[in-house]
Amino acid sequence: MIDGRSALRSDRLMAPVARRVVGGLSVVALVALVVVGLFVAPPDAFQGDAQRLMYLHVPAAWLAYLAFGVTAVCSALYLWGRTRSLVWDRIAGASAELGVVFTGLTLLLGSLWGRPIWGVWWAWDARLVTTAVLFFLYLGYLALRRIPAALDVRAKRCGVAALIAFVDVPIVHFSVTWWRTLHQEATVFNPDLDVQIEGTMALALWLGVLSFTLLYVYLLDLRYRLEVLDEDRDERDLEAAIAERAQGGVPSAGTVGVGS
Amino acid sequence: MTTAKRRAIIALSLCGAAVIAIIVLTVVLSSNVVYFRTVSEAVAERATDAGSRFRIAGEVVPGSVVETGRGVEFEITDGKKTARVVHVGDPPSLFEDGAPVVCEGRWGPKAAFASDRIMIRHGNEYEAPDVDSGSAAPGPLADRSAGAGGAGAP
Repeated sequence: MIDGRSALRSDRLMAPVARRVVGGLSVVALVALVVVGLFVAPPDAFQGDAQRLMYLHVPAAWLAYLAFGVTAVCSALYLWGRTRSLVWDRIAGASAELGVVFTGLTLLLGSLWGRPIWGVWWAWDARLVTTAVLFFLYLGYLALRRIPAALDVRAKRCGVAALIAFVDVPIVHFSVTWWRTLHQEATVFNPDLDVQIEGTMALALWLGVLSFTLLYVYLLDLRYRLEVLDEDRDERDLEAAIAERAQGGVPSAGTVGVGS
Repeated sequence: MTTAKRRAIIALSLCGAAVIAIIVLTVVLSSNVVYFRTVSEAVAERATDAGSRFRIAGEVVPGSVVETGRGVEFEITDGKKTARVVHVGDPPSLFEDGAPVVCEGRWGPKAAFASDRIMIRHGNEYEAPDVDSGSAAPGPLADRSAGAGGAGAP
């Protein structure tokens, strides 16, 4: 399991300078989003200012799709023998974690948007229910990653789970087309690909998508690095425990069970 | 041998979890997949309906809204059929003539739909307020000049 790492020399996804550039760009894009979303774009003719929540809600949902998509692709790359590398497993885990955060954000922002417009915080329609299922599916995936196991065993097990969980992503997206829902249909990626939004509003929406995507790349690299450090620490703890036992000493409480 | 066995157990438990998830999803969605009935469907089923609770969707017929002591009464249409709705409780803030609504309740006496919850079902189109007519949404647009900067932060 150590081979995969040293062979590819991949203790990070991008150079630190690249990460800082991406992080800086995402801050710039977020500031532009605040300006355009709050001050440049007009209030919606029907919904008024509450519609501005769209500039966060839709990018958050887009990011959840993207994050789980990356998790699925990387899981497949791990499971396929020829491209098997723990690098893919780490990206999959890091991306799923971000996906869960942004799915939660989507649900929360959607709820805040629903209350003033629909009149309710929550509705048991197909879009909302399948999104909640998505949230819990990947929460389960993250729980699966926490079960102690050798890294390659965990990677295989989680890879299969990630591919199963991804089935819900297209169901969430097309739920508003397939079934009657309280939730409106997609404004941009609808079946007719007919964008139903005024110019500066669309600009705010795209700025939201851009800034969230940049933020995702930045956080993904950071989380990947953390995962590598975690693995290193576990390995050091294990070696320390072995060394201690080899000397005939009783393992201290802190190292008992590590790597079992 | 043991690895193969373990792998089989993992695969089986994952399949089991997936099957359970699909069953739960089907059960939950089966009663909610059709989140609402159109006015035409609801009216057609009224004769055979045994007072079951459901949702009805349509547009508020302009000029039909009457405030009552306990709520509002209005007519709802899908362009083909029209039904009378007797609502108990406060309507949502965007409720107005022509608003697309979903009402929750059951068929009551005198062929009226007894509703206790109104939701607004808005579309997927977003546009700037029409300066000329200004009648599309009096509430949120009352002060358009302040709209861009004033009450902005959601």
